[in-house]
Amino acid sequence: MEAIKNAFDFSDLPKTELSLAAAVLVFLLGFPALPHSSFGMSTMIQFLAFSLYGMGWNLIGGYGGQVDLGKAQYVGIGAYTTAVMMIRWNVPFWFSMPLGMAFAVGWSFIIGYPLFRLKGHYFAIATIATSLVLKDLFEVWDFVGGARGLELPIKGDFPNWLYLQFREDYYYYYILLAMFLVGLIYVNGFRHSRLGYQLRAIKDNEHVARSLGIDVHWSKIKAYAMATAFVAAVGSFHACYNYNIEPEDVMSLDLSVLIAMMAMLGGAGSIWGPIIGAAILVPMKNYLGSWLGGQAGFAGMDLALYGLIIMVIAAAQPRGVYGIVEAVRARRR
Amino acid sequence: MEDIAIQITKSLVSGLLMGLVFALVALGLTVIFGVMDIVNFAHGEFLMVGMYTTLLTSPLLGIDPVLTLPLAGITGAILGVMCYFGLIRFLIKGPMIAQLFGTFGLMIFLRNLALLFMGSEPRVIHEGWLVGKSFIVGPGVVLESTKLAVAVLSLVSFAVVWWLINRTKVGKALTATSLDAEGARYMGISTEKMNALAWAVGGASVGIAGGLLVNFWPVEPGVGLLFTMIAFATVALGGFGSVRGALVAGILIGMIVNLPPVWDAMMRLVHVSGLDIHSFKYTMVYAIYFLIMVLRPQGLFGWKQ
Amino acid sequence: MRKIAILAAIAIMVALLVPAMAVAGPKEIKIGVIYPLTGPAAAAGRELRNGAELAAEIANNVMPKVNMTMAKNAGVKSLGGAKITLIFKDHQGNPQMGADLAKKLILDDKVVGILGCYYSSVTKTVSAVCERYGVPMINGSSTSPTLTKRGFKWFWRTTPHDKWFTKDLFEFLVGLTKGKVKGVKAVPMAELKNLAAACEKTEWGSNVSIEIANFAKEYGFDLKANILYAAKSPDLSSEVQSMIATKPGAMLFASYTSDALLMVKTLKSMKAKPKVVWGQDAGFDKPEFRALGAEIEGILTRSVFLPSVVKVKPLAGEVNAMYQKKHGHDMDGASARAFTGLQTWVYVLEKAGSTKPKAIQQAANTISIPGNQLVVPWVGIKFSTKGDEIGQNVLGNGLIGQYQMKDGKIGLEVVYPFDMATAPMIFPFKGF
Repeated sequence: MEAIKNAFDFSDLPKTELSLAAAVLVFLLGFPALPHSSFGMSTMIQFLAFSLYGMGWNLIGGYGGQVDLGKAQYVGIGAYTTAVMMIRWNVPFWFSMPLGMAFAVGWSFIIGYPLFRLKGHYFAIATIATSLVLKDLFEVWDFVGGARGLELPIKGDFPNWLYLQFREDYYYYYILLAMFLVGLIYVNGFRHSRLGYQLRAIKDNEHVARSLGIDVHWSKIKAYAMATAFVAAVGSFHACYNYNIEPEDVMSLDLSVLIAMMAMLGGAGSIWGPIIGAAILVPMKNYLGSWLGGQAGFAGMDLALYGLIIMVIAAAQPRGVYGIVEAVRARRR
Repeated sequence: MEDIAIQITKSLVSGLLMGLVFALVALGLTVIFGVMDIVNFAHGEFLMVGMYTTLLTSPLLGIDPVLTLPLAGITGAILGVMCYFGLIRFLIKGPMIAQLFGTFGLMIFLRNLALLFMGSEPRVIHEGWLVGKSFIVGPGVVLESTKLAVAVLSLVSFAVVWWLINRTKVGKALTATSLDAEGARYMGISTEKMNALAWAVGGASVGIAGGLLVNFWPVEPGVGLLFTMIAFATVALGGFGSVRGALVAGILIGMIVNLPPVWDAMMRLVHVSGLDIHSFKYTMVYAIYFLIMVLRPQGLFGWKQ
Repeated sequence: MRKIAILAAIAIMVALLVPAMAVAGPKEIKIGVIYPLTGPAAAAGRELRNGAELAAEIANNVMPKVNMTMAKNAGVKSLGGAKITLIFKDHQGNPQMGADLAKKLILDDKVVGILGCYYSSVTKTVSAVCERYGVPMINGSSTSPTLTKRGFKWFWRTTPHDKWFTKDLFEFLVGLTKGKVKGVKAVPMAELKNLAAACEKTEWGSNVSIEIANFAKEYGFDLKANILYAAKSPDLSSEVQSMIATKPGAMLFASYTSDALLMVKTLKSMKAKPKVVWGQDAGFDKPEFRALGAEIEGILTRSVFLPSVVKVKPLAGEVNAMYQKKHGHDMDGASARAFTGLQTWVYVLEKAGSTKPKAIQQAANTISIPGNQLVVPWVGIKFSTKGDEIGQNVLGNGLIGQYQMKDGKIGLEVVYPFDMATAPMIFPFKGF
């Protein structure tokens, strides 16, 4: 009961932030009704997906301070569970998504146990290694289609709620928005939870945390598993939304880094950080790409600019955009 | 049986050569990490810049690609110093995660700048002292001239860096900076200069490596990442900051990726076919890396946690 | 205040609607074209774009010199001379991006249909979008066999796929043993029986690898090594060592561009000496590969268009001359297939006489374009509507070319199909 009350308790956040968040929420709820291009809609769906990935990453990377660069493997597990079960046994999305989350969490326990013996850079590179190993295995595993990937059959009779197949994108949008809100409330609860406090103590100083009686290793593993569940759920959604998955697409290093980067640029360790990061980077990437990318002679210009912006933010404010907001607020006082 | 013995010799030789190539590429990364605890995601892009430098300056100056190596080294060093003063100096004040993403942004930036100016087509050097030459020694053991040259350069570079760190005054200052930057400052060592020096040495070594590699490897804007991931595994396996560790780990990884032909020879001996492990060779590298890490979290020769 | 806002909103709506009404009527037919214009395959994207643009130009203008029905009319005759407008989009090799762009083209730009997308993985997601919205898509250049195995109702592919190409290879190898190849006496089977293959391990290469294994069994060859490797790999010496160790008569490759270069360099340094070296297009048929010059003399590659085709196909010569004049180099497999893809669109629209999806579907399923209309050396274009392959052109076929030095320049000569051979084959491969 206490946990549920905590989850809905936003009262510790500043008033301005809450009213801004409420305005954004109204906008998000009403977005499909506003005049928009379909590219705008696709961008919004990607924004929601990356916000969720980022929220997951934030649990371990932001609150726990453990730089995880291997989240894509769990996107893959979620996506593949849904795809394989639908193709082979006609299992609807609503059953395969929780199963995918369970598989991902199980896998995260298996590798999390040894993984968290490592610290700092060793940990970061080991997470990359585990993700690459899993990807390589999926690329030769025939049961899941190998490198050729899996294509989900189109079941017809839209809208098909069981298999999450729709003709119009706003169905996907609202489903993802619902997941987004659940995720947000969960993260809010996590902030106030025992584990949340333990993690922040670990982030500040592991030795002190241990001397306070916190089981550092176990706390990290638990937070890692929760982060995993988020990512796997969105992975399942991605399989249905995209109708086609390949290891190169859902388990790549690029995706892992992008997930971590969005959260970090927005502000790791704050509830709004991943959302801000996704809101900046996703549209920037899409629109810079379609603006500069299609023009002859400018190939690479869009991503060079993108890299430059990332460098500037990382150099100017290591706590990300939210860090800038906090710094401004601190100066006002 | 004889077949296997020959294959093992072949694999050992090419594993050793390739291992020394990996080690050379990783050297700059481990030097930089040793001094200032920062992992440079853009390391492979430095290599790419070195490769392009040789590719472009050799026909421009009308000299053999090998002779442009000093230029590639200087370009690498300048790039390293520029990156240090333009970006890294600000990044080191932040947490590790900001450092990772700062250098990640640098990687995207450099790679796409290359794409913008050089185009996406892979390019190769067609003529030169090292291009397309190889020697056969013993029973079919092949020594490719470029890899051999890189291997020699690799050993020389490791010796030079080892000497620089252990036998010179500058090296002592570098070590002091890496052990305790604040303490070093009190001792009158300009840590700023030491850090810049680390980036210059790191950039130069990988620039030269690139200048030599381009005699065999095709260069394109994305070529860096092929080597970056291996270099990361090499450096982490050897222990971050350990020069000796990078050499040993590089050779170890070179051996691992040359295992599949031995496996194939064994399979032929027992008349089993269809078990192809070539597609796993990098999987094995990462898996073995992971296993060693779990057993020894500071790497083979690491002293920093 | 509110009144002004409402008025403004109406004004904006009108402003948005007016141009939409202005283009109503059959004066313009919009085709969305999705290609990798930037990213790793940007060079191929450039050729694809040039090919499609040339086809649109020929369709929209009267060109008496070109011997094609579509060159005789300005625009699509059955639609009142409506002109073809191409809207290019860049998918950067990203399947998700491709799907988003397809939605944009269908919903925002209201295209009649889609042409694309080169990468099989992107074609998959884009065709899935088209299938959902009931918008026709013609694919000219993706060769993954699975694309036409899905029973899609709105997807047609003009190019033959990798299964056919691989079959061509084995027909060719068998032809070698029977003395059918121009300039080569029958080769004893024992010399060629052992094969070694190395394919890159993404979707495309791993499909080719499977096809090679299947056909090797069917045609009685012995596939001693069938290796998958990572195209983004810094070293290929272990793969090459394993291949050489099996003493193969023929080495078969499916490689992208930079790994094809690295592969050839490694083969050379390891002194590989097979009788036949064959590449499955892609990396083996790129200007960068050609730049290796004399080093690659004797290597075979499959393709659908080689500049030397003009010797046996005058129409290809006419179109290639136009292309050459515009871009300074010959057409290649990518541009020729993009050209043919858009050409098919024009013929389908001509036959449909309408831009309604149903009419286009009907027309595509019953169309039959004779081979003398095409620049590629196919029997024609006719899509299968039943069986296990839906929407596949059944009249296409591939070519196998061999790199040969002519007057100090490297070029490709046709060696298969045997009756189209443009030069005697160099056999055996002289080694690196």
